[in-house]
Amino acid sequence: MSGHVATVARKEFEDAGRSKLLWGLIGLLVGLVVVGYVAIWYTADDVNAAEVLNFVATPLQVILPIAALIAGYMAVVGERRSGSIKLLLGLPPNRTDVVFGKLLGRIAVVTAAVVLACLVSLVLGAVLFGSVPLVDWLGFAALSVLFGAAFAGLAVGTSASVSTRGKSMAIVVGTYMILIALWELLTAGPYYLVYGEGPPVEAETWYLLVEQFNPIFAYTNTVSNVVEGSVFPFQFQYGLQSFEAYGMTPAERYPGDAPFYLQDWFGVVVLLCWMAAPVAIGYYRFRKADL
Amino acid sequence: MTAIETSGLTKTYGELTAVDGLDLTIEEGEVFGFLGPNGAGKSTTINMLLDFTRPTAGSASVLGYDAQTEADEISPRVGVLPEGFDIYPRLSGRRHLEFAIQTKDADDDPDRLLERVGLSTEDAGRPAGDYSKGMRQRLATGMALVGSPDLLIMDEPSSGLDPHGIREMQELVRTEAERGTTVFFSSHILEHVEAVCDRVGVLNEGELVAVDSIEGLRESIGGGATMELTLSASATGYREVATGIAGITEVAVSGRTLECTVTDPAAKASVVTALDDAGARIEDMRIEDVSLETLFTALTNGEADATPERQTSGVAVESGVAE
Repeated sequence: MSGHVATVARKEFEDAGRSKLLWGLIGLLVGLVVVGYVAIWYTADDVNAAEVLNFVATPLQVILPIAALIAGYMAVVGERRSGSIKLLLGLPPNRTDVVFGKLLGRIAVVTAAVVLACLVSLVLGAVLFGSVPLVDWLGFAALSVLFGAAFAGLAVGTSASVSTRGKSMAIVVGTYMILIALWELLTAGPYYLVYGEGPPVEAETWYLLVEQFNPIFAYTNTVSNVVEGSVFPFQFQYGLQSFEAYGMTPAERYPGDAPFYLQDWFGVVVLLCWMAAPVAIGYYRFRKADL
Repeated sequence: MTAIETSGLTKTYGELTAVDGLDLTIEEGEVFGFLGPNGAGKSTTINMLLDFTRPTAGSASVLGYDAQTEADEISPRVGVLPEGFDIYPRLSGRRHLEFAIQTKDADDDPDRLLERVGLSTEDAGRPAGDYSKGMRQRLATGMALVGSPDLLIMDEPSSGLDPHGIREMQELVRTEAERGTTVFFSSHILEHVEAVCDRVGVLNEGELVAVDSIEGLRESIGGGATMELTLSASATGYREVATGIAGITEVAVSGRTLECTVTDPAAKASVVTALDDAGARIEDMRIEDVSLETLFTALTNGEADATPERQTSGVAVESGVAE
């Protein structure tokens, strides 16, 4: 690293900040939070702001990954295809600065989206429900930033490891589809084949471990611990698991004291892995690439 | 110290050899033109100097630093105008320059840079995505000049520029050279190179086929020039005058025209003076150089367009002024 990470990140943030598509998604996110809060205020009696906060996780869960993936899947490969990377690398920043500067820049964009949505929820919570659940709110915002950063890492890492936009898009969209729509088939399906039955509540340990490696579960499991009530993962369900199991975290399903890797906080490690692993692969491949 | 040195620099893509054992030395302060038809390997060579592409064999050093292992030492000291680059469409021209200034830790004034490359303040405020090809080229040139680099590496700097822009670009290269900057630039158009270069290297199919000054190259293929003088009256009586001048090998007369074959460039002026002294009135004059196109064709096995080019100029003869 030659110390230009911050300069590149700032340029990236500014550049992404001019994307209308990204602002559209952030607007949609904020709009959904507003609509949700007003609807809850209108229909429910006797709730406080802390109990409403978990609602914000629903639009965030869906829109944040999409926004992060859109903001990031072209980060490096887009510049390779257009040729602007030559202008950038002709200046003092080197390839390391480019990958990590871009990662930081895109994480900053995601953070801005989360902060905006959370600020709106904080203000609406105070105005409509008359309280400011600051501790819950801070924990929630921090986990949401990490959740967004995981997808930003996935996208930027992918964009650094391939040589065409099409490949980057295919990997990013494919991964997202697996996480949101095919996860149960890919985890509970093999379980069914091995044991002749779908995973029960008290499923085998390996299954519980694999299942929570989905960043969406990692997010909802951890967030459920910092806000009132629980947050349900937004997922396609195939009914391969027992119905009861869907709303439970691996720690709750484990008979007795769960090992550390099944504890709810382990979700933070999972999210960090989703951010770091693609970036590590992308960085390694990009360093060796002929541009 | 040498500005650029390559030894046995080779790049292959599968079966294809893009650059084949290139040995090249460019001294500090030199303006070096890197010539060759499209696809000759010029950009691949430049990409290896800038660590965009890694050589299959051989090595390259820039300003004394290894182009691969010490690339971080090189980039702050060079200005780069790459080939096939693009700008950031959403960022303004000024923001591009500011970014270059930040990364180079320089204190250049963006307005001064804009002026040098011929972009207006209004243009600089607009998103660079609205720029024409020529404006993008100008912006990137401005970015390359940031931090007064010791070496300018420009890949096809005249692409996308109109004749006026090309002249400005040549002017800029001259100014930089006077400042002591080494300039290494590539082109597939000879006139762009001959106007500003101290030496040229000709690359063909990945191999260096010649390195010399323009004059040296001309001589090496035995080239001279033809000078055609039109007098106010019959030229017959002046034939002896022209033949008597050293450097003129042959004189043909037809009507009012004298056609001289010139081997020494200085002889051109002598002919004019001698004829004038002898009382002849020169009405018009044409000089046909052995065009570089011909030279190029000879060096690159006739792969370039073989049509010889006519260069005509007025009485003040300076064959190096290219449009």
